[in-house]
Amino acid sequence: MASKSVLSEAREIGLATELIRLGARLQLLELETSLSRERLLKLYKELKGVSPPKGMLPFSTDWFITWQPNIHSSLFINIHRYLTTHAGVSGIEAVMKAYQLYLEQMPPAPTEEPLLSLTRAWTLVRFFDGRMLTTARCRECGGDFVTHSFSLSQDYACGLCHMPSRAGKGRKARAA
Amino acid sequence: MNTNDMMAEIRDANLNYLMLARQMIRADKACAIYRLGISAEIASLLESLSNAQLLKLSSSNLMLARFRFDDIAILGMLTSHSKERGLSQAHAAILMAGQPVEEIN
Repeated sequence: MASKSVLSEAREIGLATELIRLGARLQLLELETSLSRERLLKLYKELKGVSPPKGMLPFSTDWFITWQPNIHSSLFINIHRYLTTHAGVSGIEAVMKAYQLYLEQMPPAPTEEPLLSLTRAWTLVRFFDGRMLTTARCRECGGDFVTHSFSLSQDYACGLCHMPSRAGKGRKARAA
Repeated sequence: MNTNDMMAEIRDANLNYLMLARQMIRADKACAIYRLGISAEIASLLESLSNAQLLKLSSSNLMLARFRFDDIAILGMLTSHSKERGLSQAHAAILMAGQPVEEIN
């Protein structure tokens, strides 16, 4: 950055704060804000009281295809698409807004983390930008669902119209 | 309920709807566009309405807000008992987000 404006830095800190509250990992913050790693680390510790988790971000596209994550990520990507095409928001703002709306639709149980984390949602949008994932239209309900770009989706049926036999019957799903 | 009462109720609902919509748009336009399922143009128009205009608009004897589920599939899903509520709501939300918005043609 050529000239460091205090105002823009304040804006960036505001954005980073919001992102950390929603559960962003450090890598996301580094890419989406222009703040230095040290400042982000400090901010993270101040807000959460603990050091940010270390290690790589989840990088597999397969997670988004499994049954329950597929429903959640399809919902998120549909909201995201709606916001970018109709409401004229883009970039990290669109991801943040779509994520908040997703949380409203799928509120996690009080003690639990949301199934789709902000970092995963952000990764999902990047996978779409990189054309690794796309959506396919379900032949029964007509909804758009996340699939691999290279998979054959001529006659696609979504996981909600054709539920796998044991889907949603687990101990955790019962309690929810 | 006679016809006059019904008209009064409709005007009431119109006013409620318009006031809520305007408030939502003023608070957060992008989210309101998603929640209300309207286009950006309609949102800007509603946002700029004065109280007098809003009252005038709401005093119509016809309902201003229209049913959002043109699609029988979504409606069936929301009312069906065969699926768990959380799941059918998620399904309906996915389908609704995929629908086109109401627009001024």
